[in-house]
Order: sequence, then C-alpha cells, then structure tokens
Amino acid sequence: MWFCVFQKYNADYDLSAKEGADSLAFISLLEEKLKPALIYTFWVEPKNYVDVTRRWYAEHLPFPLNFFLPGRMQRRRLETLQLLRGDQSLEAGDELEKELYRDAAECMNLLSQRLGSQKFFFGDSPSSLDAYVFGHLAPVLKSKLPNGKLQQHLKSLDNLSNFCSNVLLLYFPRDGRGGAGPKASSAPAPDAGDFDHVPNKRRSAAVRAGGAGRHAGPLLTGIVSVQHVQRDALEAPPPLLDRQTLGNHDDDDEDGDG
Amino acid sequence: MSLAAEAFVSQMAAAEPWPESATLYQPLKEDQILLSDCASSLAVQAYLRMCGLPVQVVCRANAEYMSPSGKIPFIHVGNQVVSELGPIVQFTKAKGHSLSEGLDDVQRAEMKAYMELVNNMLLTAELYIQWCDDPTAAEISRPRYSSPYSWPLSNILAYQKQWEVRRKMNAIGWGGKTLEQVYEDVSQCCQALSQRLGTQPYFFNKQPTELDALVFGHLFTILTTRLTSTELAERIKSYSNLLSFCRRIEQTYFENKSS
Repeated sequence: MWFCVFQKYNADYDLSAKEGADSLAFISLLEEKLKPALIYTFWVEPKNYVDVTRRWYAEHLPFPLNFFLPGRMQRRRLETLQLLRGDQSLEAGDELEKELYRDAAECMNLLSQRLGSQKFFFGDSPSSLDAYVFGHLAPVLKSKLPNGKLQQHLKSLDNLSNFCSNVLLLYFPRDGRGGAGPKASSAPAPDAGDFDHVPNKRRSAAVRAGGAGRHAGPLLTGIVSVQHVQRDALEAPPPLLDRQTLGNHDDDDEDGDG
Repeated sequence: MSLAAEAFVSQMAAAEPWPESATLYQPLKEDQILLSDCASSLAVQAYLRMCGLPVQVVCRANAEYMSPSGKIPFIHVGNQVVSELGPIVQFTKAKGHSLSEGLDDVQRAEMKAYMELVNNMLLTAELYIQWCDDPTAAEISRPRYSSPYSWPLSNILAYQKQWEVRRKMNAIGWGGKTLEQVYEDVSQCCQALSQRLGTQPYFFNKQPTELDALVFGHLFTILTTRLTSTELAERIKSYSNLLSFCRRIEQTYFENKSS
C-alpha cells in the first residue's frame, strides 16, 4: 500500500480533511465491531469451520501441512477472539454468536446509513475506506456458509450488497458474473474459494484493474497482497479477514503479512 | 453483559427513576489508579454530568474485581451494577436520559465510529504506554497498580496484569510497535478528532454527546497525568481546538460543582 503511495497512487488524494478523519473512524468501527464476528464466522463457528474453511485450506495446502496447519490457525483465531473479548474461557456457542452478530449487524447498519444512496463512501470515486469495507464484507456476501446469519443480514441491506457487487463488477470483472469464474480445482461449492482460486489469473486481472487509474491503488494492493500470500501456500495464507488495506497491522509470523 | 442480562437490566432500569444515591466506583485516586482507568472513569463522570444525573465517586482498591466485566469504572444505581461507558449510556437511555436523540442516522453512525476510533487508538495507546513500555511499567504502572497489596501479592498481581495486557497487544497487532509509532498513532487520532471538531463547540455542534464525554475523559487525563515523558501530552497540545474543547467542558461541567 505504501509502495503505491510512494509511486503517487493514492486513493485518498481527493478527500477533504474531514473525510480523511471519517475514514479513520469507520475503519476503527470495522475493526472493533465487525472483525471479531468475521473471525467467529469463518474460524470458530463449528459448522462453517469444518465444512468450509478447514476443507478449503486442507485442499489447497501441500502435504503434510494440510494436516495440522488449519487446526493451528483455528486455535490462534480462537485465542485472538478470547483476548479481544477479555474472556479466557470463551468457547463457540449460541450466546457468544448472538453477541458478536449483534455488534456486527449494528456495524453494518451504521455503514449502510453512512453510505446512503451514494456509489462510494465519499462521492463518486472510491477511497481506501471503500476498499477496506469491501474487503471485509465481500467474503461474507459471496461465501456459501452453512450458518449464514451474517450473510442474511448483509443481504437485507440493499445499498451495501449493491456496493460490494458494484466493486466486484468494476474491478474484478470475471468474478462479477456471480462467481462463474474459472475454478482451478473441483473444490466444493463455496464461493469463498472464489477469491482464492486461480491466483495467477486473478492477479493479472487485478493488475489490469490497477492500471486503470490511481484510485484503484489501494484496491489493487489490498487484493494483490492477498493473492501474493495466497499463492505462497507454504506461508499459510491468512484468511481474507487478517489483511488490512491500510496495513500497519503486524500479524504473527506464520499467518503471513497483511 | 450477555444479551439476556442486558434485556433484563433495561427492563428494570426503565421502571425506576435515577436515585440520589447512585455511586461510581474506581480505584484509589491518589495512589492506585492508572492512566487508562482514570480516562475511562472521567469519561463516564463527564457523561453523567452532561445528562444532569448526580453520582458520587467512591474509590476502592478492589474496584476492578467488583466490576461485573472486570473493567473500570462501574456504577451502582438502585440494585443494578453497570460497567463501561457503552452499557452505561444504554442504561441511562432506558431511564429516559439521552444526549444523542437529536442526531440523525448519519450523525449517529459518525458518532459511534468516532467513539470506536478513540477506543481503538487512544485507549490502546494508553494501555501500551502503561504496560508495554518498560520504563513506564517499572516506574509507574506496576508500583501504582499493586500499591494496596503487600509483598508478594503485589508483585504477582502487577506482573500478571502486565502479561495479560501484553498478550492482548500482541493479539491486536500492537505488540511489534515501537513507542514512536504509538505516538504517531496518537497524533493521527488527535488530528482526525481535531478535523472533525473544527471550530464547533462540541462534535455535533451545539449540544454535547457521549462522544464529547469520551474524548474529554481521555484527552484531559493525558494532559494532566505525569508520565515518564511529556511526549504524549505535547502531541495533544499541538491541536489548539482540542485544548480549548477540554477547557470548555471542564469549566462548564466540573468547575460549577466546586463553586
């Protein structure tokens, strides 16, 4: 992301001081309210983890990492969640799920209220906040999860769903056709795989999108950094949740860098 | 608080008016309380004063353990105990007192987002400086935190708390940051707050909201607390509108009481 800034690609160039401040505030909101729920949805919720996340990682990691790495990542995520909530005895369960999803739903409602009927959060051209929100919401929208409560809530917020689809269509044209993009393996249905399949082709698409203008800068870096890490499966690619497009976030060693 | 408990508390809260005997508990002011707890406590006090709700401040050495969530401060109203600013705002709302009713949807979204900004950056920076910066932890935080207890309990509790906070910092990605980076983050946060405040008296123009209380609590405490270095206070002082904002709230809500 800083590479793009140094090369004078900066999506926040046109933002006023107040809009820049709002960006920071909304990013903090996402971090505090939405991210724990996303970690829970993909890594802690038993059905989702077993059917989708673990299966996907196990199929795409090389032998023998596929046996123990997903489990290790899962334990790490659970620990992060426990520390974030300040409760060492936290376990997956209905009550935790309700609380986390309630916070996430509130966060999504607030984002929806802020977005209103605009195309992007600050007018007609995207900024880093748009990339950040897209990065967090798109997996929720597109993945086929057994326990899809978050997804249902997101779908009920029309402007946010349209926002995500819009960004997908504009900057990831192949995926914009409802996940009909080429799949490298016969992975099971989940579209969570969509973002991670065929990394090479996705990357070139992202590069083309990136060349389209400076506004794509953070989107490009945001997504490309995912591709980079995703391709290097040995580095145990972080789930789409861990990376930040405004990275000053240091993830742990084997979880790759965001 | 669990959802069921929260619903129950709201229902009970709505039933009774605010009593005169409401108390707010915090650790000992002179010897024990630390920067982050003091900031949170001041934020709640400011909020309650803005609502015009009387509350007595009581200092207890074991306030942290009395609190239902383990966080400071907590209030004891009637027969209910509520901790942290967020739940306390909900609680007072259930009793019919609210500062943010006049805001529209977009403003409310912005208010919540800025409150998370303060929690995410300012509060985390305060915790970092207190517990992850070795000189500060050794000279100020550990001695103060464990001052009510005798050896060896004092050592055990202080190191346990430090270990807990450091683990949390690692989990959220602040473990690898240097002090300079943390100061930069604080500056960035203050810049955002300063830009949002502009020349208005409060963040949402004429009337204060819980955001004003929260920002006041943190900034005022940082400005008036002695740490090993004055860098943090200096960073805030460079934003004159934030300074006058703090002064204004102090004069309006805190000096009246003493006169």
